[in-house]
Amino acid sequence: MADNLIRMENIRKSYGKVQALRGVDFRVNRGEIVGLLGDNGAGKSTLIKVLSGAVAATSGEIFVNGEQAVIRNTTDAINYSIETIYQDSALVTQLSIARNLFLGREPLKGSRFFNRLDREKMDAVARELLQKVGIMKNIPTNTPIGSLSGGERQAVAIARAMYFDSDLIILDEPTNNLGVAETQGVLQFVRNARDSGHSCIFIAHNIHHVFQVVDRIVVLRRGEVAADDIDPKTTSIEAVERIITGMD
Amino acid sequence: MDSLQPLRRLIARPEAGPFALLILLIIVFTSINPKFISFLNISNTLAFTVELGLIALAMTLLMTSGEFDLSVGSVFGFSAVVMWTLFNSGLAPLPLAFVAALSLAALIGLSSGLLVTQLKIPSFLVTLGMLLLVRGTALFITDGFPQRTWDAAGHPLAVILVGDFWIGPLRVYMSLFWFVLAAIVLGYVLTRTKAGNWIQASGGNPNAARARGVKVDRTKIALFMLSSVFAAFAGIISSIRTSAANPNSGTGYELEVIAMVVIGGTALMGGRGTIIGTVIGVLILRMMRNGIIMVGVPGLAYNIFIGAIILGMMALHSWLDRRHQEAA
Repeated sequence: MADNLIRMENIRKSYGKVQALRGVDFRVNRGEIVGLLGDNGAGKSTLIKVLSGAVAATSGEIFVNGEQAVIRNTTDAINYSIETIYQDSALVTQLSIARNLFLGREPLKGSRFFNRLDREKMDAVARELLQKVGIMKNIPTNTPIGSLSGGERQAVAIARAMYFDSDLIILDEPTNNLGVAETQGVLQFVRNARDSGHSCIFIAHNIHHVFQVVDRIVVLRRGEVAADDIDPKTTSIEAVERIITGMD
Repeated sequence: MDSLQPLRRLIARPEAGPFALLILLIIVFTSINPKFISFLNISNTLAFTVELGLIALAMTLLMTSGEFDLSVGSVFGFSAVVMWTLFNSGLAPLPLAFVAALSLAALIGLSSGLLVTQLKIPSFLVTLGMLLLVRGTALFITDGFPQRTWDAAGHPLAVILVGDFWIGPLRVYMSLFWFVLAAIVLGYVLTRTKAGNWIQASGGNPNAARARGVKVDRTKIALFMLSSVFAAFAGIISSIRTSAANPNSGTGYELEVIAMVVIGGTALMGGRGTIIGTVIGVLILRMMRNGIIMVGVPGLAYNIFIGAIILGMMALHSWLDRRHQEAA
């Protein structure tokens, strides 16, 4: 119990008559990568949106570090150290890597009324972070995000979550539209994040990607938990597919 | 290859195209009529340049944040009318009337900003409404007649705003000093400060910015107020320089100002802005207006050239953008 970083209990969410979540219990332990799987409409996106503050649950409770948490919007979630990385939407493409990393929490120098960005610090930290997250290429930190590949963008978003010590990093389809090499890169970024103490929720359509990186798999089906303790090391992909489609 | 890198980066900057055009214009106009770079002509061109230029500087920040303001031309005329009406009727001494006019302009900007950010009405519609509202008020309170301003002669405020002095043979108006100061301060804010980072992020990806705790709405409201106050300041300077506060003055300025900003390389849809580019854009348009008359092209043809320059610059910026993305 004490190892629970996040515990969601009996989460329900309905859109009019449609019940997207029908009483879901979900937990993430410290230093663990949880894979969240399910068919389209199973409720994985809704569950993640509830946790990241994008939508409010109809009922249910969320506990962070064992204490009840009120998450009404994305800022609340970030204050609880929960960082969500959506494909493309988390970064400002016109701004540089360094400026994106520090957006909203810019380091300043100079006197209080005449302060300016501490660009040396932003630059140094950005360079260090890109290395830590595992980008091998030497990319200048003043490169605009718009000039980066999809995998590199994911890396920047993950690096930001790591730097600001997010306890939980939620990755929503981080390997969508990526090539084989780039996908392997992103999976490695996720492993690096776990190894430096961050928990992750990993959502992907591609079961193979999930199997390569996660410690535990949770399957949702029609708004309910179909399985929540699958060990990818001892379970076959086919077995998980059967649980997802409900043909077990 | 590596020795070419700094040069390449310079050419890839959004200001490079406009700057080349500016140099080209100076060369062409001067070779046809050498008087183009005479001190008298430079001084005359600069005097009027800075009044539109002040508005363009503030509009650059507003457009970088993803909004624009069509009411600046109306505020330009309205504020001068307010100040001189207050002063002429004996309701307020000149400095107080000046502050009152600027405060009223700030209030207009605040209203536009609140309507855009809180009711989510596009800035095109909000500021179009504000354009008519403000212009209509200026016409109504003056019955359409210009307000007299000649009492200002020699007043310290008039000297601070539009006094002139000579640098050698060049006559320079104080308003040029205000323009240069504003360009330096706003350029610094946009590129070196946290506020600048927020302005660019608000225009580039407001949802991502908001998720990071950036106060997008507050940033945009402040910039609506800034551009309104700058328009008022420019209108007051103009009224003292020309000795007339005409309720109709500033008509059509909003489009000329937006043209100056986009020619300089600032994106109409936000996210990317450049103060240096705007200064170049301001100079290009003013030099065109002055130059084509000096080389003997009929003044009525002015808009043909401006239209062509806007289209040409937009094509260039879009081509550079696309090439940039393909390279990545």
